[in-house]
Amino acid sequence: MSSFEYILQQVINAVSLGSLYALVAVGLSIVFGVLKLTNFAHGDVMMVGAFTTVLLIGIGMPFIPALMCGIIGAAMAGFLIERIAYRPIRNAPDVTRLLTSLAVTYILENFGILVFSSSPRNFPLPATLNDSWQLLDGAITFTNINILTLVLTFVSLIGLGWFITKTTLGIGMRAASEDMAAAQLVGLDINRLIVVAFVVASAFAGLAGVLWAAQAGVVQPQMGFTPLLKAFVAAIIGGFGSIAGALVGGFMLGALEIFIVAFLPDEITPYRDAIVFSLLIAFLLFRPGGLLQPNREVKL
Amino acid sequence: MKNINRRTALGLGLSTAIVLAGTGRSFAADPIKIGFPANLTGNAASLDAPMLNGGKLAAAEINAAGGVLGRPIELVVYDTKSDPTVIATVASQLIDSDKVVSIIAYSDSDSVLAIGPQIQKAQIPLITPGATSPKLPSQLGNEVFLACFGDNVQAAVGADFALNNLKAKTGYLLTDLGTEYTTLLSDYFVKTYEHGGGKLLGKDTYKTGDKTFTAQIAKIKALPEAPGFIYAASLVDEVTLILKQLRQAGINVPVVGGDGYDSPLLLEVGGKAAEGAYFTTHSYIGVGATPKVQKFMDAYKAANKVDPENAFAALGYDAVKLMADAITRAGAVDSAKIRDAIAATSGLDGVTGTITYRAGIAVPDKSVSVIGVKDGKLFLASEAAPTFVPEP
Amino acid sequence: MVRLLLVTLLLVLVAGVAFGAPYLMSDYFVRVLLIIALNSIFVLSLSLSNGFTGVFSLGHVGFIGAGAYVSGILSLTVAQKASLLPNLPVFMNWFSMPFLPATLTAGAFTALLAVIVGYPLMRLSGYFVSVATMGFLIIVNVVLINASNFTRGARTFTGVPLDTSLPWVFGWLVVTLFVLWRLVYSPFGRRMKAVRDDTVAASAIGIDMLNTRLSAFAIGAFFAGVGGSLYAHYLGSFSPVTFYFAMTMNLIAMLVLGGMGSLSGAIIGVICVTLLSEVLRSVERGFTIGDFIVPALFGASQVALGFIFILIMIFRPKGIMGESEFGFGLFRRSANSKIKQGEVK
Repeated sequence: MSSFEYILQQVINAVSLGSLYALVAVGLSIVFGVLKLTNFAHGDVMMVGAFTTVLLIGIGMPFIPALMCGIIGAAMAGFLIERIAYRPIRNAPDVTRLLTSLAVTYILENFGILVFSSSPRNFPLPATLNDSWQLLDGAITFTNINILTLVLTFVSLIGLGWFITKTTLGIGMRAASEDMAAAQLVGLDINRLIVVAFVVASAFAGLAGVLWAAQAGVVQPQMGFTPLLKAFVAAIIGGFGSIAGALVGGFMLGALEIFIVAFLPDEITPYRDAIVFSLLIAFLLFRPGGLLQPNREVKL
Repeated sequence: MKNINRRTALGLGLSTAIVLAGTGRSFAADPIKIGFPANLTGNAASLDAPMLNGGKLAAAEINAAGGVLGRPIELVVYDTKSDPTVIATVASQLIDSDKVVSIIAYSDSDSVLAIGPQIQKAQIPLITPGATSPKLPSQLGNEVFLACFGDNVQAAVGADFALNNLKAKTGYLLTDLGTEYTTLLSDYFVKTYEHGGGKLLGKDTYKTGDKTFTAQIAKIKALPEAPGFIYAASLVDEVTLILKQLRQAGINVPVVGGDGYDSPLLLEVGGKAAEGAYFTTHSYIGVGATPKVQKFMDAYKAANKVDPENAFAALGYDAVKLMADAITRAGAVDSAKIRDAIAATSGLDGVTGTITYRAGIAVPDKSVSVIGVKDGKLFLASEAAPTFVPEP
Repeated sequence: MVRLLLVTLLLVLVAGVAFGAPYLMSDYFVRVLLIIALNSIFVLSLSLSNGFTGVFSLGHVGFIGAGAYVSGILSLTVAQKASLLPNLPVFMNWFSMPFLPATLTAGAFTALLAVIVGYPLMRLSGYFVSVATMGFLIIVNVVLINASNFTRGARTFTGVPLDTSLPWVFGWLVVTLFVLWRLVYSPFGRRMKAVRDDTVAASAIGIDMLNTRLSAFAIGAFFAGVGGSLYAHYLGSFSPVTFYFAMTMNLIAMLVLGGMGSLSGAIIGVICVTLLSEVLRSVERGFTIGDFIVPALFGASQVALGFIFILIMIFRPKGIMGESEFGFGLFRRSANSKIKQGEVK
């Protein structure tokens, strides 16, 4: 195997991991954009979506309809979380809202353990999705689920792009994320916009949750935590609150994680997470607006 | 009393109920209390929950057969939430308030180390069903016993199996740096494999919870010489993914590991990719198991409506049987006598193998089963004691 | 004069409880008391940055962990070091430190660490500092797992002598409380609150924002390191996962419940959460009322705590105490009297 093929394989690995991170990060960024809320419960909404899908496949539903239902289930969960936990504290200080989202995470995760137990369960993915493609005499490989993830990521993002640029609701959402007070002044129904933002973000979480679990092969009440942390990093690298930024950040992070393991000496690779989070801190310090918004004013 | 408000009525009702319950209680023999703290929530829960189910099953069977010394046994269960602070508090609750005579606890050495100093001080014997670190008794003291083999033994059997049965003179090592179990297993494996003349072509690491191993796998593919097998010191969540991603990348060499693989998930999640995986474990639980194990599986399913999740269910079951056997032989509900009786256990026939403690050694001599995956099913590939065991 | 007498009386009472409790109560209650005192040290030290200075750190547990490991390594006997940490550098492996100096060294180490980490991070505010300190927590975890020559990696760090007793923890709690009380109700304390309440206005009147935040962060980290050392000597064995998100959540819940701008609130929060989780932990095991059997629902205690937390956030976002203190009217008077006498500029 030549070094060119090795590098190409690692690039494919990076793209496939990055598309998952991007999908999670986009949802986080939508909520942050409109509400300025770091939504820790996003990972648990992923869990809701994944469990819905697994339970439905368990009673005989095919994969694609079950995936759709998983997305709907996650969107409903997001709707309820907003209504019950976040709306009463919408105007509270940042820290209060951050803490409330932590508490929601804590409840959902432990509730999941009560209902489903913390043992991991199999994700019954159709066998065809697990088949792999072999190129260049098997030097380069990737699987159908990798392709599906990439395709769904782009399709859903194009859909999102259409939604926020062409529909009234979407434009209103963008307006609210630019300036909430001004949006309210021109007569936009802020409550409605926030609900829409939450539902859309949660639908993305549902999709990401199902795909994440499908690649992991298992679902578990605690499954949302790791992707959530990674998506934070991705969103901040790209520019928190910006959808395009989340996309770029997701792919950057995927590439970074793969390349650290692939190209750095063995003594350094175990420090992968430390490197990633140091980078996060560096971005917060020197470029808090992220890659795409170097000049954005960040309120300290 | 014209105006009984709701609260008074409720209070009256409650106190009547309590009085009734008090008088209604039958005066059977006091149960023998055995402490059973377990991490039913938190990161060790997927092992401790089946362990508790197995333990409860054994206790129910013992009580149905007349109990121990004419008294029923009662497992005093607390959830210690995988938190060492809670473990330390619960230990004193068990010792002081519940006055348990002995304790059965945990599947991970972190938790056993957290409870150890107190049981040692109170001189109450402890059996751990599933913490496989062979260092535990020497780290804590004479009250601590393992119901399972040590990691040094299973790593040695794994290395022997690779060298002799798989004829693999070269190997590659993948280690999960996130847990004590996998790091210990990996260290012991290297010692035996190299002692037996095997050569490691490379080593790599990852951390518990990782989902993507494609970068590590591409490195294996890029090796100038393909390894004869891969030893993955992993837990089941990760090894199924490692297997899938290895097979998808076209690497079909055997993958060998320890009892961390022992879960139905290996086949469910691994699917076809699990072909050629082998692991060392306590007992073969699956289709075609020995009648003894089959009987346990049926009873477990009847009690819990699910098949045994992993070998820890059987270990929990055996630990309770071991404790009951020791109490019977001690002839008295006395912690010191029970400790001596545990130490003198010889030839106890459990689901996970025969338990015998050699004088002064609190890790039992148990044979190790090597289970393989073939045609989507588990099969017993070998059952052996190692030829060379590294020092704990 | 009366005040001095009352304070002395209080101290005697605390000492009486600390030394007398083991003879009067069961080991279980002694442990609950000890954990309350230990968590009070953690939460008090956390309140300095998170409550009084408005730097909402999620990385405090990183300092606790660092303190526990430093003190643990220093306290092992030479023989234990040789067997458990064979690759320890030569300058560390020839001695074994007693409890008190090891604790002080741990505190000094974490304070230094806080200065180094805080120097860049304390420039951030709001969410950004929370996320950045969370990054610090993760980095500490990665380093603890990988620096296996010092920490045994993910393997349990064990063999730390069990020196932590009720008098030690109560003693350190009194020291923590005393130092923090003097700080918070001093000109420096008012600077901290000014920085918290309005960064721009505080800078405008000449308060050095970075310096104020950094001092609060480092002093908090010192006591976190001390608490970590006490914790290490209480448990005897621990691993990197002990000092991670679960503990972070727990401490934050206590702080927020009690009230973020109040020292007595921090302690009240600790007492409430500790007692509540102890009670819930027993209730979730299941119980019977007459013929009615409530089955065991393990994990229910966490869900209940989460709901209580959200209710507090919605209906009493400033916690039980808010920013007021509860001190039998003893301590507040000092701050007020100083103002009256014009000592405070």
